[in-house]
Amino acid sequence: MKVLKVPARTIAVFILPCLLLYVCLVFVPILVSLYTGLLKWDGLTTAEFIGLGNFKDMFFNDPVFWPSVRRTLLYAVASMLEIPLCLGMAILLNRYLKKANTLVSIYFTPVILSVVIIGQLWKTIYNPTSMGGMLNGVLVSLGLDSWTHNWLTEPNIAMYSLYLVSLWQFFGYHLLIQYTGVQNIPDELYEAAKIDGADGFKADRYITLPLIVPIFKISIILAFIGSLQAFDLVMVMTGGGPAHATDVISTHMYNSSFMSFKYGYGSAIATFLVVVCLIFTGVINTIFNKLEKKYN
Amino acid sequence: MVNRKMKQSATIAFTAVMALSLAACGNSNNNTNDGAKNNAAPSAADSGNAAATTAPSDKKVTITFQNIYPDPATPAYKMINELSEQYQKDHPNVTIELDTLNTDQQKVKLKTQAASKEVPDITIVNPAAQMKPFVDAGLFAPLNDMLEQNGLKDTYQEGLLDYYSFDNNVYALPDGNNIEVVYYNKDLFAQAGIAAPPTTFEELLQDVKILKDKGITPLAIGEKDSWTGSFLFMNILLRTNGGPGFLQDVLDGKKTFEDPAFVEAVEAFQQLVQAGAFPDGATSIDANAGGNIFKTGKAAMWSIGSWETGAIDASPVAGKVGAFQFPTVNGKGDPNEFMLAPGSAFAVSANSEHLQETKDFLNYFASEYPKKQFELKNAVGIGQKVDGDLKAAGYSDLAVNIAGLFNQVKGGDLAFDNTMNPATAQVHLSSIQNLFVQKMDSAAVAKEHQAAFEANK
Repeated sequence: MKVLKVPARTIAVFILPCLLLYVCLVFVPILVSLYTGLLKWDGLTTAEFIGLGNFKDMFFNDPVFWPSVRRTLLYAVASMLEIPLCLGMAILLNRYLKKANTLVSIYFTPVILSVVIIGQLWKTIYNPTSMGGMLNGVLVSLGLDSWTHNWLTEPNIAMYSLYLVSLWQFFGYHLLIQYTGVQNIPDELYEAAKIDGADGFKADRYITLPLIVPIFKISIILAFIGSLQAFDLVMVMTGGGPAHATDVISTHMYNSSFMSFKYGYGSAIATFLVVVCLIFTGVINTIFNKLEKKYN
Repeated sequence: MVNRKMKQSATIAFTAVMALSLAACGNSNNNTNDGAKNNAAPSAADSGNAAATTAPSDKKVTITFQNIYPDPATPAYKMINELSEQYQKDHPNVTIELDTLNTDQQKVKLKTQAASKEVPDITIVNPAAQMKPFVDAGLFAPLNDMLEQNGLKDTYQEGLLDYYSFDNNVYALPDGNNIEVVYYNKDLFAQAGIAAPPTTFEELLQDVKILKDKGITPLAIGEKDSWTGSFLFMNILLRTNGGPGFLQDVLDGKKTFEDPAFVEAVEAFQQLVQAGAFPDGATSIDANAGGNIFKTGKAAMWSIGSWETGAIDASPVAGKVGAFQFPTVNGKGDPNEFMLAPGSAFAVSANSEHLQETKDFLNYFASEYPKKQFELKNAVGIGQKVDGDLKAAGYSDLAVNIAGLFNQVKGGDLAFDNTMNPATAQVHLSSIQNLFVQKMDSAAVAKEHQAAFEANK
């Protein structure tokens, strides 16, 4: 602060507009939904205060809730596992291609497309054989008829089909972040390392990895939070069906609030989601802080 | 000196920001206040009603009309656009803003708007149980006075407005009064060598197998929107129960979902699924796409409300389609009892900023509605009386056929979600959707329904 030579009050004034906006648009709604989570309320008529009743129902009586939590977490793990892959790819691109920008832009294309378009596109790819689905068509032409499935409607498979689409869509996004990170590492470091005898894989291990940790962390957190909130893709492709087989926390929350008219209950689920997000963000931050310390 | 100036301007900036952000936070409050004012206003305006409606006011008014007619290929889309344009021409001060959505989107949007008490001037609701929460919350304006104007009330069929009335107040005007029928493609039936439409469930299953063997999808459906499967299932229940009133009996505590009639209906429905009656991947097809399977001649049958008659006549399979009553199941039920769909209906927001203008427009709209629909060959299943002979006006054989079925209606049931509360309905919808992808123990399905009903009473 002192370095800036500006009174703290002035800083406060400059921060204030954004802070207020943030409080109004983020914190107030969170607090409101914390409160409505304690109500038995259909969103329209008078509400009844029932304390933690919604949470009790959610944890013990709701057959949809825990499976949807499990699917969400699995989704999060899968998206985080994708990041090392992106990093590896970024390193390779940086090393073997002089101008990888075009390639990176191409990988980035799915991110620009709206999720609705992505959803419709993959729905046609996943279509059953009888409706000319591309994936099944390819399998049949390879003579792998027994491998064909109704990718989006078989309860055991549908969720994995959705994971794949999401991983495909965000691959380019994380690749871009990692690639930018790798590019920003000064060449001098590598040149110095080369003189010391560290080249190729060794240079990656002792130079790239330690320096990329902060960028890596950003990607991991983005991937994690993004998949906890996954909603649009599921809604477009399956709507959580068949019979809740692809419901994740957010779609369950949406269905409870808006389809079943259980607004209070939906808010309770939202509260759970916020708490989970906060806890895991905290955990990830701690892990990476330790990592950063270790390397610096 | 500089410092003081800075402090001063900082204080001013600070105050301005505070004021602005408070205004942003308090925005919704202002709206509800306005709403309350408007609520009080009409009673004063009502007394001078006739004068107010005849004297053209120059006040610029924009009426938002939320509706569910999104497909430009359908007569309903043309109807709403042409009527709105005509009204705007006659009343230059009025702008009608159409907020056009899919059925399911509209339901969600309205629910979200209702939660913040910002219902559009005119919106669409479904009858009875689906509409009740909105009426209980005081979101809709009673339309009794407006129905008396221009004799609008007498154009509606006897008893139809009851589905939209609570405490002797009518809260919405239905766009139709339909029944569920099974449409079938005569060409595809002939191709499979089926002489006549089925009259029993056993025959239906038989036909399903024959069609399936010929590589034709027997029954079109779009089960991603789960009401479609429920609508068909309820028709089976109407038969196995030997008549209407099953859900009402459950509500009244006279029966439970574990009643044999319900289990039998689930059993029969599962037979249909097992026989391969529905398209592959039905649960990922949305309702419109499901209907298009039939309308493009790729499926032999489609069990849906008679509201589709006009759209079928405007589709590639026009002229090849007939309709039959849902068959008896295990010898039970009367084919002349139908699943009844007393339309979706137009309701007016109680908080509308220009309630009188909105009512005037809706009065015009509802009065012109039957004529326009008749003109557009979409008059089958509308809830109002129309002058004119269908056949003479060039309607298709299918339309005349369906109109004939209306005369045979002896009674029936409303859809599940029009009878039960939304939470129970959601469990039901997802439970039926599950039958499309998994073989279940029918008794367990019944038990799941009962548990949901008791939990959400």
